[in-house]
Amino acid sequence: MSSFVARRPLASLLILIAGALFLWLVFAVWTPGMEAAFGRKRVFLSALFNGITLGALYFLVASGFTLIFGLMRNVNLAHGSLYLLGGYLGFSVGSATGSWVAALLASFVVVALAGILMQVLLFRWMEGQDLRQTLVTIGLSIVLADLLLWGYGGDTFQVETPAWLSGPVQLPFAVALRSNGEAVMMTYPALRLAIFLGAVVVGVLMWLALNRTRVGMLVRAGVDDRDMLSATGVRVQLVFVMVFAFGAGLAGLAGVVGGTFQSLQPGEDTKILLSSLVVVIVGGMGSIPGAAVGALIVGLAEQFGSVYMPTYAVMLTFLIMVAVLAVRPQGLAAVRR
Amino acid sequence: MSAGPALGLRSSNAGNALELRGVGRLFGALAALSDITLSVRPGERRAVLGSNGAGKTTLFNCITGDFPPSSGVIRFFGEDVTAFPPQERIRRGLRRTYQISSLFTGLTVFDNVYLACRGVSRNRFSLLRPRRDEALMQAAESLVEAVHLAPVRDRLVGELAYGQQRQLEIALALSGAPRFILFDEPAAGLSPTERRDLVHILTSLPSHIGYIIIEHDMDVALRVVESVTMMHNGRIFKEGRPEEIETDPEVQELYLGGAHG
Amino acid sequence: MAVGTSPAPLGLTDPRTGDAAGAIARLGVSFWVFSAVLILMPLIASPFWLVQIFAYAAILGMIALSLMFLAGYGGIVSLVQMTVAGLAGYLVAILGDSAITQISLTWPWWVAVPIAILIATLFGTISGALSVRTEGIYTIMITLAIASAFYYLTLQNYTIFNGFSGFNGIVPPRFLGVDWRGTNAFYYLALGCAALAYWAVVYVSRAPFGLALQGTRDNPRRMAALGFNVAAHRIAAYSFASVIAAVAGVLLVWFQGQMSPGTAGVGPVVDILIIAVVGGLGRPIGPFIGALVYVLLRTFSLDALEAIGLDGKRFQLVIGLGFLLIVLFSPGGLIGIYERLRERHRRSQDTRAATMNAAGRGP
Repeated sequence: MSSFVARRPLASLLILIAGALFLWLVFAVWTPGMEAAFGRKRVFLSALFNGITLGALYFLVASGFTLIFGLMRNVNLAHGSLYLLGGYLGFSVGSATGSWVAALLASFVVVALAGILMQVLLFRWMEGQDLRQTLVTIGLSIVLADLLLWGYGGDTFQVETPAWLSGPVQLPFAVALRSNGEAVMMTYPALRLAIFLGAVVVGVLMWLALNRTRVGMLVRAGVDDRDMLSATGVRVQLVFVMVFAFGAGLAGLAGVVGGTFQSLQPGEDTKILLSSLVVVIVGGMGSIPGAAVGALIVGLAEQFGSVYMPTYAVMLTFLIMVAVLAVRPQGLAAVRR
Repeated sequence: MSAGPALGLRSSNAGNALELRGVGRLFGALAALSDITLSVRPGERRAVLGSNGAGKTTLFNCITGDFPPSSGVIRFFGEDVTAFPPQERIRRGLRRTYQISSLFTGLTVFDNVYLACRGVSRNRFSLLRPRRDEALMQAAESLVEAVHLAPVRDRLVGELAYGQQRQLEIALALSGAPRFILFDEPAAGLSPTERRDLVHILTSLPSHIGYIIIEHDMDVALRVVESVTMMHNGRIFKEGRPEEIETDPEVQELYLGGAHG
Repeated sequence: MAVGTSPAPLGLTDPRTGDAAGAIARLGVSFWVFSAVLILMPLIASPFWLVQIFAYAAILGMIALSLMFLAGYGGIVSLVQMTVAGLAGYLVAILGDSAITQISLTWPWWVAVPIAILIATLFGTISGALSVRTEGIYTIMITLAIASAFYYLTLQNYTIFNGFSGFNGIVPPRFLGVDWRGTNAFYYLALGCAALAYWAVVYVSRAPFGLALQGTRDNPRRMAALGFNVAAHRIAAYSFASVIAAVAGVLLVWFQGQMSPGTAGVGPVVDILIIAVVGGLGRPIGPFIGALVYVLLRTFSLDALEAIGLDGKRFQLVIGLGFLLIVLFSPGGLIGIYERLRERHRRSQDTRAATMNAAGRGP
């Protein structure tokens, strides 16, 4: 980072000033003048935090997607269906057992198993045929989506928030001043806070796994250069299966999470897949930090868009994607080769 | 016919065809090339020799523009081409063959050669089909003959034998009006008869076409060139005539006896 | 990056493609029979079959042809072709006449249609320009994202696209003394456009441009080393393909009489890919065969499924499974199966001839 600052002093200064302004916006109490210009601070903070938690959800989905692509060059367009599968399953398990954690675990395990089957029965026989693998994932997503429609119907489902996560939590951000001068603090649903923290934990664990374990090192090497991976003599297929299983399981887990603070219905699989696409296009394929950055940007853009310019919220996300494609096609976090 | 460069001979720099000054190329911390300075006159035939990893292919990649050098200047017929993309250098008469044949396997032999001739001409985007007697078609026909591939001209390249693919590789480099060619290990994998064929093709090239040849087979290399540049660890460590290099004790130690596998 | 076989390159001087007159003379009997059947179809088929099946298949086939051109000859899998068609259809409704009088500009069709095609082609070209600078496999993702953005735009925008309801009441015009709304007339219009598109693709694929495009598919690095601007060629390919898709889009909005966000939604966008792959990316006739199969399935699957005792609504499941089967076992699509059978038939004929010769060689 110091080299970045050294090379671009002006840009760094601008970023610093923007960052300071932003922090002040968040922590200070807004004057009536500001509220007239920007709307209520509570709305702004809501949009901000909702954007961050939405970004957390997108990160969970997109990181599995980008890992699978990075290592196996497989654009898994069935990833959205895996999300929905995990969500519906989590709903069923959650209703049956009454335990949210059980739902999370069950989804992760079952969808990971589905991922193992997909890799072992199908993709392993199509090594190197990237397009063919992608077409297979398209076929699978169509079949899976229809089976889920058959099984769960067209209704909307929501996974029940566990008791220990429901209710609001008070945050150290002041939204207004009461007439007696006391500050009114922002409250935020504990569930969303937990999701954000959970995503951070998952992200950190993934970073540790990739950078501090032997398997992780193999995965990173494979992402950089697949031929080199097979040259190391390691059981490449085993690594592939593990990564696919993990990526799929993560998507299933995200399905339960999304099903809790959003909802589950037919068509949700396509929506989450498309969001993931934009996230990895913006952040850079094969990069976990890129997925984090991209997810944050897309989540914030969607939320701020839907609050401040509802008719064109989607266009905002799309424009960001186009801008990234035009200026830096490999994505924001990608290493320039 | 095809658009040969309309530059004519520049009289500056004693009219060198190719000139490198202080060219270096870094890959991260690894210096694949350091301080390469050499000049080749128009029509001169030179060999660049050295053990694996000496930087020969990297040198070619810099000259063709696959990637820019980290430092230094490259001049082609007097023009500074250091920042030019590959297409621009091609259009000025530079050509190259590849160590591993880089052909269009889904097309026929003739189509491959025709494309090569087309690449440096105008009308690349033409939607119209050419007539049999069109100039470029004729040029492609004679080129296919020149590399002895007429019998298989309508065969899919993917179905050719290895030696025939190597011949096609050379045909692509001879397309248009080349002024200077880089041959990257043209003899690799060829049988003795095919090597004699190759030597014949190389030595019967028009005398205004200069070339640099990278080759491990000293037999082929030293018979088709008039000067030799030896590289080692990314640097030039000796230059001279073939006979001199062959008998030089340092070269024998380093290349023929020692590092060369 | 093509799935299965690339289109057979007949080369520039293949004796079979010498000159126009010779080429026509060499067309097989099957071609003439096939064409005669198509031209005389109104005498045999009912209006339902003419328009709902064949004309619709011709239109979808054109859009799938647009995809096949890019994928088969250029190695580019673009999912934005249906979007280009959808945009063209929308523009015909917006610029021309429709029931949504507060938006439609009621320009005459001979102004609205060319402009619609032009703008849609421009859109396709820009989409191409955005995706050619990245590696091949990204194209599918980027074009899918563009297609879905268009869907959401048409869904949420009411000032231009009339949102969820879209446009209706769009009819083909009268010109040259013919009411193209009529059954036979529309059938011939769709058939004619499809034939024109087919011939254009066949011709261009063997012109230097098409050859260069195939070069960029097989070996882009070498093409650059030969002096070609690979990105420019690919963008030009997108333009050519977009023209075909745009014309099909105009026909589509005339066929449907209406245009809504769902016409170019993610489902139809993927369906076009399925049609092209199932038909076969190896020959330009493939997309039309795939389209016919798709239209037949879609029209009759309800009855067929219920006849076997399954819920008629499981159409998507059938499509998905069928697609999977093709991709897994015959990546060359239905055309690929046909060619393999023909090859096997020819080989068995050769062996039979050979054994007969050997047997006949007696005293």
